[in-house]
Amino acid sequence: MTHPSEPLSALLDGELTEPDRTRVVDHLSTCHACRDELNELHSARASVRSLPLLDLPSGLSPVEKGVAEVLSLRRRPPAWVAAAAAAILALFIGVATILAPPTSLEVRLDQLSDQYGARTSLEPAITPRTPLQVIDRVAGPIE
Amino acid sequence: MLEDAPLTWEEVARAYGRKIYNFAYRLTGNADHAADLTQEVLLRVKKGLAGYRPGSFEGWLWRITRNAFLDDTRRRKRRPTAPLPEEIDRVASYSSPAPDQVLAAVRLGDDIQAALLELPYDFREAVVLCDIVGLSYEEISAAIAAPIGTVRSRIHRGRKMLKERLQ
Repeated sequence: MTHPSEPLSALLDGELTEPDRTRVVDHLSTCHACRDELNELHSARASVRSLPLLDLPSGLSPVEKGVAEVLSLRRRPPAWVAAAAAAILALFIGVATILAPPTSLEVRLDQLSDQYGARTSLEPAITPRTPLQVIDRVAGPIE
Repeated sequence: MLEDAPLTWEEVARAYGRKIYNFAYRLTGNADHAADLTQEVLLRVKKGLAGYRPGSFEGWLWRITRNAFLDDTRRRKRRPTAPLPEEIDRVASYSSPAPDQVLAAVRLGDDIQAALLELPYDFREAVVLCDIVGLSYEEISAAIAAPIGTVRSRIHRGRKMLKERLQ
């Protein structure tokens, strides 16, 4: 058998079919030069594999902003949901104003409307994750 | 490895975001470029996930990643970020890391990263997909749209080049 070169890397990676693997292993048992080459390839492979797995950058990184942007696109409810929520809120306030005597309750409802009306119409049901929560999810352990 | 499973975007981002970042970082040696690329890949995955058909998810994902990387490389080559005249010859590109990036890696004691950056792109990519990302030869073949024989040759030659540089 001629000296196998490329198959040595494939052998290290478990990428040889069984007949080829047997042939290469048999050759290695009698060939010093190929054993030396195998050791060198193994060393190079181990070097790359020894590089640390880096965490995703934290803080206001482009990654985090991108993830937050994509999540907000996914989680933003359709426009009709926001419109319906605003209409329901307006109806509720209107009914309360008509039915209720002019007491402190009306004042509180008006205040609620001023304070939360716009926000509720924009975010009626779903609170987006904060960027920090998002990046924590993305930076979870690699499987 | 995930096969034939319907995935949400969040699941992909959670399972692969860090791997994509490490792939990009090891190819470029540049944290900012790697972060930009990770963001771009995740956005492309978001847009493309609905059209994904069961098959080799790894091949699909890493093909997107590689294409995003090559597109970004071409874009940066066309529109370098306003280099000063004396810097024109050393504008960084993904396929040919600037000498200062290689030197910076050496100064940090990261001789392995520096040696990786010196490999021609095709060999660096094959080695990173195999030994950093952990793909099989078949998955790498799908990702880079090349025959398995080419994958095997590039990984082998890449490792031999690395060994020469690390000696």
